[in-house]
Amino acid sequence: MNPKPPAPRQNAGSPPRWADRLLAWFCAPHLLEEVQGDLYERFTRRVALVGERSARRQYIWEVLGFIRPFALKRQRTVHQSDEYTSPISLHPAMIRNYLKIAWRNIAHNKTFSAINILGLALGMVCSLLIFLWIQDEFSVDAYHANGTRLYNVMERQLYDGKVVAAPSTPGLLSDELKKKFPEIEYAAGFSWEDQRTFTVGEKFNREKGRFAGADWFSMFTVPLLEGRPETALNAPANLAISRKLAENYFGSPQAAIGKSIRLDNQTDYQVTAVFENLPDNSSEKYDYLLSWQDFIRRNEWLKDWGSNAPRTFIQLHQARNGDLPDADRLEAKLKHFLKEVNPRMKESPFKIELFLQPFPEGYLYSNFKDGYQDGGRIEYVRLFGIVAVFILLIACINFMNLATARSVRRAREVGVRKVIGAVRSLLIGQFVGEALLLTFLALVLALGIVWLLLPVFNTLTEKHITFRYASPSFWATLLGMALLTGLIAGSYPALFLSSLNPIRVLKGSLRFGSGARLFRQGLVVFQFVLSMLLIIGTIVVYRQINFIQTKNLGYDRENLIYLSAEGNLVDKYSTFKQELLKSPGIQSMTYMDGTPTNTFGSTGNVQWPGKGPDVSIEFQFSTVDYDFTKTLKLNLKGRDFSKAYGLDSVSYLINETAARRIGYVDPIGKPLTLWGKQGTIIGLIEDYHMTSLHIPIEPLIIKLSPDPERKNIIIRTQPGQSREALASVETLWRQLNPKFPFSYKFADQEFQKLYRSEIVVGTLANYFAFLAIFISCLGLFGLAAFTAEQRTKEIGVRKVLGASVPSIVTLLSADFLKLVLIAILIASPLAWYAMNRWLADFAYKIDIEWWIFAGAGMLATVIALLTISFQSIKAALMDPVRSLRTE
Amino acid sequence: MKRTYLGEFEEIVLLTVAVLGSGAYGVAITDELDKQTGRSVSISAVHAALHRLQEKGMLVSQMGEATAERGGRRKRLFTVTVLGSRTLHDIRAVREQLWNSIAPQTLPAISL
Repeated sequence: MNPKPPAPRQNAGSPPRWADRLLAWFCAPHLLEEVQGDLYERFTRRVALVGERSARRQYIWEVLGFIRPFALKRQRTVHQSDEYTSPISLHPAMIRNYLKIAWRNIAHNKTFSAINILGLALGMVCSLLIFLWIQDEFSVDAYHANGTRLYNVMERQLYDGKVVAAPSTPGLLSDELKKKFPEIEYAAGFSWEDQRTFTVGEKFNREKGRFAGADWFSMFTVPLLEGRPETALNAPANLAISRKLAENYFGSPQAAIGKSIRLDNQTDYQVTAVFENLPDNSSEKYDYLLSWQDFIRRNEWLKDWGSNAPRTFIQLHQARNGDLPDADRLEAKLKHFLKEVNPRMKESPFKIELFLQPFPEGYLYSNFKDGYQDGGRIEYVRLFGIVAVFILLIACINFMNLATARSVRRAREVGVRKVIGAVRSLLIGQFVGEALLLTFLALVLALGIVWLLLPVFNTLTEKHITFRYASPSFWATLLGMALLTGLIAGSYPALFLSSLNPIRVLKGSLRFGSGARLFRQGLVVFQFVLSMLLIIGTIVVYRQINFIQTKNLGYDRENLIYLSAEGNLVDKYSTFKQELLKSPGIQSMTYMDGTPTNTFGSTGNVQWPGKGPDVSIEFQFSTVDYDFTKTLKLNLKGRDFSKAYGLDSVSYLINETAARRIGYVDPIGKPLTLWGKQGTIIGLIEDYHMTSLHIPIEPLIIKLSPDPERKNIIIRTQPGQSREALASVETLWRQLNPKFPFSYKFADQEFQKLYRSEIVVGTLANYFAFLAIFISCLGLFGLAAFTAEQRTKEIGVRKVLGASVPSIVTLLSADFLKLVLIAILIASPLAWYAMNRWLADFAYKIDIEWWIFAGAGMLATVIALLTISFQSIKAALMDPVRSLRTE
Repeated sequence: MKRTYLGEFEEIVLLTVAVLGSGAYGVAITDELDKQTGRSVSISAVHAALHRLQEKGMLVSQMGEATAERGGRRKRLFTVTVLGSRTLHDIRAVREQLWNSIAPQTLPAISL
């Protein structure tokens, strides 16, 4: 380099320094001296000619004039050959050469390339599927335009010293909140899902829908095809239906508007709006909506501020400065609203407060612990996210290991390249580039596999995921994933290969340092730790699900059928029951509100002698027909409701937990007051599981109900005769209730639905564990081949000196087995911790036993052994003459 | 090899380098251009042209001596190469041939 010019004299006539610095910054270094020299020379002359100020101005102007391509260009030109320069790295000829070499390597080592591409592709399939699933989970409810201003009003209650949060609120809450708080722009109640029979002329069918507040369509982005948002639900006889229903019953949305539909063969409603079918990514689905006024009219008890059942949504006003609304301030204001509005609450020992949950969070964060948000589906999203990263990582590690293994063959190429002038960065670029090439091949393969698997995956996860070809973010993610995978996978081989010493490589005395070996061993251990975690996880999840399915729930869920009591079945229930019990295949029947797995409601309004003033216990309750315990096959002490006793309207059945909580040792015959009606406990039901096994058994009170309307009829069929039983039920239904479609549910299928997410997780975990161990073993297979190749000569010498084949196989396998054992030791406590956390969500669960770890360890060891032994035996059987001939 | 064409400004700059002989560097070339043609050119344009001529092989350069008025920086002195010289001659020949081909009184008369 040229000597640095002496610093310019800082006399009075010097040009502005910042202009000099600017020039030095943008001007190519090899041009700087002459350019600046010329500028100085002109400046000095100008100072004498026109004065300093003007000269300085012109100097700046001239500096700016040099912002031209030739002065900005850093590249050295031919005349600057006084310094060594590297050859142009991205010359087309070199790129062609790299590609050619990469392709020859892929084509020549077919097994290695296949293992690599397959491993990477499988890893990508996993992560792609999981990515699509996660993307879908996050899209749920995210499409509402006002989403950031929508909140779910929830209630936090203190019972029994326990804080419980629930979305159920009083029926009048939505209207009252809107009146009292000016911050609230819209508010709407939202009922539970129910089914009603729609009749239009000769067509009738059962449809699923809800009641919703009049503001519903103003708040949520549900496009109306016909009708206006303000008037869609503003009168009791209004009915909004989906496009699907409009097309089914009337042929088109236009034809449907203004028409009347008879519901449950009782009441006529006017179609005031037709809305677009809800997208798949909606947490709540409904095909029709009825008005809130109608809801309150139908359910008088909703006017009571002490009864909670429906949900309440609000939309806040946009803040004046365009910011998000201040939900915290509103929350503080409405916290004690229920106590203000309901004087009874003031004296009540119940602590109760309202709080807000942002609506878009409702889907992923639906769990509450001690009254505060605590995860929900988001945990599965995170879990699978981690699994996706892990599996991809396992695939990357494979690639690293295999590429390093192949490096023996490629060392000479590296040596030659280095000798003829390749610098390290070029070699790194070449190998990373090769990794990227393989990754992109794998990506293409993975996309194909995912495309084929998507329908199966959708069935499994009960989603409707599609490739979003049009979305740039989809392609960006794909590209990003492939780039990242390629970089991670290619990094180690590239660094390793480029570090080889060309002289030693070309002399043929290639030795890998112990550092490289340790690193590779670390990778194998890491890989197997991940695989072990997945295997143990799968076993635990599988066993827990199996435990749930087979646990004795206290009632017999086999051979139970549910029907809904509607239409004529309500009036002619006794005829129906009499006739049905005479029919073939039927053992007994009853009805109840709710189902055995979902009791209808709960109440705290229970009194008994000796109850302390501070005691507040929330009892589950259900109203039933005669033969309840017989139909469910519950174990009962005392007696069931019976027509032989006239006073059973004030008789109660309770479960063992209720007896314990009340403090009755022998409750039969003891008094109990429910909703102010004093009665007697006539029977004690042995505890049975009323909900999913996530929740401990709660105290239960059962009461006789004289009216079957809108209740579930539960029929027990003779084992093995369900077909005959269903036939007789259907015949009777068609006779008695021709205006309503016949449909039924099996209790065991309903039961399965309680554990839908666990079952999905279990099945997915199965596949992922299998994939993880498969990919890990691919890697092990490659490594075993590498070791065998490395030690070819050693094996040859050993054989010549008389070593037996088994001893050589043991020698080669022992190294790997050690690694697998270390992995088992590391993975076991991790897995134990993780699975304990997962099981903590269940009130009833399996123990994690030692044999699970032992079994998983054995499985991993055996699979690893099988993988390694193939290579070991091949190496041990090799003819030593061939391997030693070159020496 | 294909003939290299010169732009008008490049041609002028190349000629100026030839005029200046051994003292051809950025400032001198700019000044000489100013003096000979009466047109005021920016120094950066001259540098750009010199750079391009060098890439085309019409000029070579080496670093000259440093002067105080340059803040102790050296000059880059330019010399016309054989290729540069031939190109200039070619251009001149073409021009002269064209001048000679013009029939008398074809060009409108101009009075200076």
